[in-house]
Amino acid sequence: MNGSPSTIEGPGDFIDLLNRSGYAWSHSNTKIEPVDASKLLQGTTVLAFHFNKGAIVAGDRRATAGNAIMYERCDKVIPIDDHSLMAIAGVPATAFEMARILSHNFEYFRRSQLQPLSTEGKIRALSKLLKDNMGLALQGVGAVSPIFSLYDLKEKKPYIYFYDMLGAQFEIQTHTATGSGSPVIRGVLEYEDLWGAKPLAKRTLEEAALLAIRLLQTAAQFDSATGQARPEDQIYPIIASITEQGYRFFPDEEMAGLFKISMKRN
Amino acid sequence: MFDEPFRWMEAISTRHSYVQEKLKKGLPVLAVPYKDGALMMGFTAQPGKIFELYDRIALGSLGHPADVERLRMTLLDMAHLEGFNRSDKDVTIGRLLQFGIAPAMKQNFEEVMRAPYLVKLLFAEINFDNLPVFYWLNYDGHSEVFKKGAVISGNDKESEWIQKQIEQTDFAALPLEKALKEACRLWEEGKKQSASESEDDEDKPVGLAEAFDQWTLEAAVLSTDTERKALYRRVSPDEIEPLIAAAK
Repeated sequence: MNGSPSTIEGPGDFIDLLNRSGYAWSHSNTKIEPVDASKLLQGTTVLAFHFNKGAIVAGDRRATAGNAIMYERCDKVIPIDDHSLMAIAGVPATAFEMARILSHNFEYFRRSQLQPLSTEGKIRALSKLLKDNMGLALQGVGAVSPIFSLYDLKEKKPYIYFYDMLGAQFEIQTHTATGSGSPVIRGVLEYEDLWGAKPLAKRTLEEAALLAIRLLQTAAQFDSATGQARPEDQIYPIIASITEQGYRFFPDEEMAGLFKISMKRN
Repeated sequence: MFDEPFRWMEAISTRHSYVQEKLKKGLPVLAVPYKDGALMMGFTAQPGKIFELYDRIALGSLGHPADVERLRMTLLDMAHLEGFNRSDKDVTIGRLLQFGIAPAMKQNFEEVMRAPYLVKLLFAEINFDNLPVFYWLNYDGHSEVFKKGAVISGNDKESEWIQKQIEQTDFAALPLEKALKEACRLWEEGKKQSASESEDDEDKPVGLAEAFDQWTLEAAVLSTDTERKALYRRVSPDEIEPLIAAAK
């Protein structure tokens, strides 16, 4: 175990603490041999949009390596702290590590500085991790394209941010999607928002969840790297909401009911 | 100076006296179980008595604020590094104390040319069987573990009396409101115990009404009644208000 009463003082930056303890997150200067990117786990559809109480974040469950389906129960929506969620597309190894670092970073800051990290600080923290990962992203072996959703308790307002692989952040007013299956559903989301039964931001949580399930099923129909739900094996998309009360994942039992309703045809 | 064993022992003894004198006026901090977890409370003149350490661990303190802060940050660093490098399930008070901070504090205390830590620390933890466990850590690195609750205070008579009462009270059956009320009562009674031995005016007993008037009640719980990963939450002003009203 590291640490002693003589090694202290910090601005609440967990990454700085990791660096001082010998762990280096940054891979920017890592020199590695080219890797066959088709052998790496990747391929996804994740999406997020505003609904009437907050933001909803959803993702399929499949992980692929090239043409091979490697895993059908991958959780691509990850809680970071009570009021933030990260949806991941790209290489899971890097994405999961980013999520772990972020989670510890936010909690370490809150506990050490005796106040939560600001929404802006949280948004920048993910951006910095992506920027530091640029080396591996450009080599094609560690690219991650996340969606970050938060609820700002002071402003009482949800935020959705989309990031590119190099760390640029874009605030999303309505909806976003990323991953190999996202082009299939982005148009549907736009259509639903403009000409659907009601704008996305006015839909209830249940309405939002039903749409998210349909969108992921649609993406899976056209993108082999996006997994369809398999109710017979209790494999459903992963869907979470983020509101003033914090994040909440739909449990499998609830997903089973929603899935049944969402798949009904006119 | 310390080439004879006696000289070293004398220096250690003097050091104990010095630290105890410095801590003498430290207000008690109590940690007790309640129906849904663990409660920690204490009155304080300045904010900064009770803290969140990790997902399932709370820290209470008395002593010099700079020393408390230094040790708090060390524990935070250790807990978060361990939780990140291994798992949150590997972060326990037992490990943090036994393999981390307790040996360092003992070494610090026995290096008589260095300034000693002027602190006593109290810990509450909800273990992974969802049961509360309590520890205290002395300035010399000595720690003890308790099942029914624990107390730290600058006054030994006071803490011994409160500890005895904690052992005799079934806090684990009480809802938060009643556990907090009972803990406040023990705090008040404990102050009376220590007052009987002191002729110092400044040490006169402080009733709850005076305590609420002069100081701030800091209280926090580790509550298992949540879906959150982090069990710590501050007891809200709304939850404390009835106690203030009852005391006046």
